[in-house]
Amino acid sequence: MIINILFYLFSVILLLSSLMVILVQNSIYSILFLVLSFISSAGLLFLLKCEFLALMFIVIYVGAIAVLFLFVVMMLDLKTVNVKKDVLKYFPFGVIIGGVFLIEILMVVGETFKANPYSDSFLYNSHFNWYERMDTFTEIHSIGQVVYTEYVLQFLIAGNVLLLATIAAVVLTINTGVESDKKQVIFRQLSRNYKNVLII
Amino acid sequence: MRIETLLFKEIIILPELFLGISLVYLVLHSTFLAVRKNYPLIQTSILYLGVLVLFLSCLLVLNDGLDVLEQSVLNDTIVNDYVSFFSKLVIGSLSLFCLLMIQPYLINQKINQFEYILLILFAVLGLFLLCSSNDLLTAYLAIELQSLAFYVLASFKRNSTYSVDAGIKYFILGAFSSSLFLFGSSLLYGVTGTINFEEFKDLYVNVSPGNNADLSNISLVQFGLVFILISLLFKLAIAPFHTWAPDVYEGSPSASTFFFAVVPKLAIFVLLLRIFYYSFFGFFESWRYFIVIVIVLSIIVGSFGGIEQRKLKSLLVYSSISHMGYALIAFSAGTFESIQMLFCYLVVYSFSGLCVWSIFVLTRLKNNHLQKQNKDLTDLVSLGKSNYMLAIFFTTVLFSVAGFPPMIGFLVKISVFLTAIESSMFFVVLISILCSVIGTFYYIRLIKILYFEKVLVGKLYYPIQAQSSILISFLFFSFLFLFINPTLLYLFSYKLNLLVFTTV
Repeated sequence: MIINILFYLFSVILLLSSLMVILVQNSIYSILFLVLSFISSAGLLFLLKCEFLALMFIVIYVGAIAVLFLFVVMMLDLKTVNVKKDVLKYFPFGVIIGGVFLIEILMVVGETFKANPYSDSFLYNSHFNWYERMDTFTEIHSIGQVVYTEYVLQFLIAGNVLLLATIAAVVLTINTGVESDKKQVIFRQLSRNYKNVLII
Repeated sequence: MRIETLLFKEIIILPELFLGISLVYLVLHSTFLAVRKNYPLIQTSILYLGVLVLFLSCLLVLNDGLDVLEQSVLNDTIVNDYVSFFSKLVIGSLSLFCLLMIQPYLINQKINQFEYILLILFAVLGLFLLCSSNDLLTAYLAIELQSLAFYVLASFKRNSTYSVDAGIKYFILGAFSSSLFLFGSSLLYGVTGTINFEEFKDLYVNVSPGNNADLSNISLVQFGLVFILISLLFKLAIAPFHTWAPDVYEGSPSASTFFFAVVPKLAIFVLLLRIFYYSFFGFFESWRYFIVIVIVLSIIVGSFGGIEQRKLKSLLVYSSISHMGYALIAFSAGTFESIQMLFCYLVVYSFSGLCVWSIFVLTRLKNNHLQKQNKDLTDLVSLGKSNYMLAIFFTTVLFSVAGFPPMIGFLVKISVFLTAIESSMFFVVLISILCSVIGTFYYIRLIKILYFEKVLVGKLYYPIQAQSSILISFLFFSFLFLFINPTLLYLFSYKLNLLVFTTV
């Protein structure tokens, strides 16, 4: 009971905060809502008894990525742009598409998940206590056992993806001094006028 | 220690392992070489090293031999059958040619970073894994590997606004479609409790959406399948999901566009085949209507959108959109010959794409703008006079792409239409034949620009290097050979189609 209530609480917070991430104009607020959504999804993982994954979620997403985002946003000094006009223009279209999808999903889910699929069969109200039948590992132990044996190839591919990401980050940012990168020359920028400006 | 303890043949993923390990060695080698010597000109040596690595992994694929028809290893996550064997060979040889063709471009554009070749090799590794993946997790990781490499390849020229723009667009839309894939696979996992294609097949082998009322989760499975289908169509740039393609292909450097216009389509079709034919063949009728709409839209968009284009690159993009539509016709027919025709069509498409794009990369205009690489259609004016053989080759390939009677493009196109007629898809075939006639217009216009334009002064080109011209004439002759003797292609793909259907 209490777990159900907590589940609905965290899911509502998750949905609302991830909605707010894209609705809020100020980017700092948007990142703070992102942090909130990460924390509430970590709460959902806690409810599923995946404590290791939940803690990793908080450490990596909140501790590293969101903080980096915050730094970048603060350094970029973004101005809040008023995009209200576009919202009005795209609102009906988005509502129609999203509404159709939502109704479809709700219909499918309502058709599929009944309250108790065994309610009119003889299995009703009979249950195993699965906890007695399982081996008890800590979560990190079982993750390690599975990842290093069954999913070793997938683990290696993920490692390759990380290597590729590292190489990509280096190649997109390194300055070898050979080519001329986009750099800010303040004099040139101040003495520019509107002629010969390429607008994309 | 006897030599039998190291039977390399028994390691099924040996080509992928070799490619991955040699990638790590290439990173170390070229980093020490480049950084310690203060960035010397190493593009040629790294490129040849990459060619060597790719060639050796193709040899390893060939060496596999396939003593048994089908073999799954690593807890059924990797399957090694004739489909993966054939498509790996095709992808490997295509990227080999691709690497050799872009060498003058790299030298000319002063792309001296060794990472360019590494990224292409990473993408090939991802495509290899995608061809032989047998569950959704491996497929997702392989797709991520190849598309992450593609994003960086698209934004490789950092000092060009267009290239950075293309990279960002590709990245955002690719991440969006990957998330759709993940959502669909999580739905499938939630319903069935498995992600393995083999187990999907065992679960749903006798199930089809209409006649099994007792299985109430059928509609949720359909829902997940629709999401997976949409994300894969996004990756293929098929019509309602195509809007990123012209911008991205036009903005990114020509060599990168060459690579991701030609090579990855076959691997994604292999994944589509494994999911929708191998695992969920019972759901065939339910996604067929959806895919027919997609086909008609993409053929119409590809044929009519191409007429407006003035840039050669975006013309080729629209041509590829309509060609993917034709390939989807073969995919959606569902008869015995349809898979054969699908593979024939894809191989011929990739091959002619290779020819067109290598001509695009190799013809370098003599003008004042060294950085300008995007060609207008008029940049090819009277190529027929300035470079006679190249123009003949270009004309042949264009006729084949358009589907003119004696060429191989015509043969595969008419067989695609025939398979569709066999499974009574008359309306789709009617629309696509009409649109194919319309689409012929812009290929013919290119040929007219090549030969019959009334201008006094044509454009001048730098001469093509000996190596590239040998390769191009090799491509030309193999093209002619294919249309004299198409049985070779048909034979391979017939064997492949037999194996696909016998394992179902």
